[in-house]
Amino acid sequence: MSMAKKNIANNPERTEGQITRRNLLVWLSSVGLFGSAVISIFSNLVFIKPRATYGQPNRFSIGKPDEFPSGTKLALDQQRVCVVRDGDKLCAISTTCTHLGCIVAPSDTGFACPCHGSRFDQDGNVTGGPAPKPLPWYKLTMAPNGELEIDKSTEVPAGTYFNV
Amino acid sequence: MKAKNSFVSALVGLPSSIWHSIFRNPLPHSDLGRAQTSFTNFFLHIHPVKVHRNTIKPWYTMGLGLITFYLFLILVVSGILLMFYYVPATTQAYDRMLDLRGTVAFGTFLRNMHRWSAHGMVAVVFLHMCRVFFTGSYKKPREFNWVIGVILFLLTLFSSFTGYLLPWDQLAFWAITVGSSIAGYAPVIGADVKFLLLGDTTVGQEALLRFYVLHIAVLPVAVTFLVSIHFWRIRKDGGLSRPEESEVLSDSQSSDVWPKEIDVTPATPATPAAAAIAAQPAGFIEKKRYGIQGVVRGPFTKVGNVPDKSVFSWPNLFMAELFVFVITLAGVLVVSLLFNAPLEEPVNLTHPPNPAKAPWYFLGLQEMVSYSAFWGGVGIPTLEVLILLLVPYLDRNTKGVGHWFSGERLLANTLFLVFVIVNIILIIIGTFFRGQNWEFVSPF
Repeated sequence: MSMAKKNIANNPERTEGQITRRNLLVWLSSVGLFGSAVISIFSNLVFIKPRATYGQPNRFSIGKPDEFPSGTKLALDQQRVCVVRDGDKLCAISTTCTHLGCIVAPSDTGFACPCHGSRFDQDGNVTGGPAPKPLPWYKLTMAPNGELEIDKSTEVPAGTYFNV
Repeated sequence: MKAKNSFVSALVGLPSSIWHSIFRNPLPHSDLGRAQTSFTNFFLHIHPVKVHRNTIKPWYTMGLGLITFYLFLILVVSGILLMFYYVPATTQAYDRMLDLRGTVAFGTFLRNMHRWSAHGMVAVVFLHMCRVFFTGSYKKPREFNWVIGVILFLLTLFSSFTGYLLPWDQLAFWAITVGSSIAGYAPVIGADVKFLLLGDTTVGQEALLRFYVLHIAVLPVAVTFLVSIHFWRIRKDGGLSRPEESEVLSDSQSSDVWPKEIDVTPATPATPAAAAIAAQPAGFIEKKRYGIQGVVRGPFTKVGNVPDKSVFSWPNLFMAELFVFVITLAGVLVVSLLFNAPLEEPVNLTHPPNPAKAPWYFLGLQEMVSYSAFWGGVGIPTLEVLILLLVPYLDRNTKGVGHWFSGERLLANTLFLVFVIVNIILIIIGTFFRGQNWEFVSPF
């Protein structure tokens, strides 16, 4: 039995590289097996990437504008955002350090990061330390019920204020 | 009547039949018997019957790879025990830590053992890598085992890193916040990797659960799998590295060539190999004393008409390994009795500690990150790992294998020593010389 198989495989009339039925089947099934492996790895990656997150929501309400009088600079640490009001102009600046994700604290000159000493000015621009990017500004809107709403999934250019 | 007799005798012989079905050989009293037992016993056959004398020189390997493996075993056992009381939930994890301290019998002690073994494993696996480098042991045919070793080093770091989060105290939370942000700097895939790792944009419940699953299931299985291949390849690559045979010949014309103490003639040939030896003409028995268990590539334990520099694994190697195990376990026990694993305040999102530091083995990384986030956190480390992985393929010099700091490997050893010292200095700076706002402070 095994001898017969060998003879077919080593048929001297067939030269190397010629596509035999056996070679074709071997090749096709290898592609099938390898392809399935790749697809299963990919589907596993899709599986572990969460579609919904269970933590802090990206869109949240912070209250009516009256709660933030002019001159306010209130850091909401749970939401990792700082609400700043200057006259009629309101904005929401991220307090997550762009360096390594620590929470920056409001300081006299702007913001300071306790972890690696990054410093930012009042608008979130880097003034010192290793932070590579300025603090992002988030979109601020007024909900129909009159409350301010911050959307952390939408960044706006620095200097974009919401006027009340 | 006859049937009853045979039943009784079977009953009488039951303990010994069971015993002999488990242990194939009687307790051996000769070298041959010990060789046969270590060949047929599952737990002993990981080692060859004989090993080269160089293998058991204490100052050659210093048992560093073995210590790493033993620490891994201690980690698995203590980790499984800790799992009985741990809950990977942000609302409970810290309370469970307090329970370990307060109500669980031996809770503090087990946590200490787990914590200190983990730190020890990171340190010793690194020293093991240094040993392998400085003795030139990664050279042909052991190139790929070095590669597996580098991957195991990275998995060890990652295992330790994922375990760091589980107590859910301030130290854990901010170390992982900083550490996972470093991953986010990787080009193209960085943000996705960070999101997959944390399961969210910030460290929270999802991250705790993911780190737990990685820590107790994914990484230990991966490490076990690779360690098995790592050990298997030591055998197939011809045992531990050692100087060339010709060197050995020239530097020792000692009496241990042709050892006479070996029990040569088997009383009863128990295995085909032994029978074959017994059937050999007298002139061959003089030289060939045991069977070759397989055809091994590369420099293997020589049989036949070459000087014999090998010794029996049992007792020489086994006793040495037992000794290293006892020392390792004793060390972990003593450290765990003397020092308690740190536990800080529960996580407080609003008050990051100042400075917030990563685990000590990542403080070199954090120090570099304070200069440049991308280059320090991703660029240089990636280059370092790549070079480490490629070391056996870049270094084509075949000389100097089997000696510490061989003069023939001056350049390679110097480069590696610089690499080691620079990293250690960075870790020391990050650990002791960085204070508030990561400003330079003097510890003295």
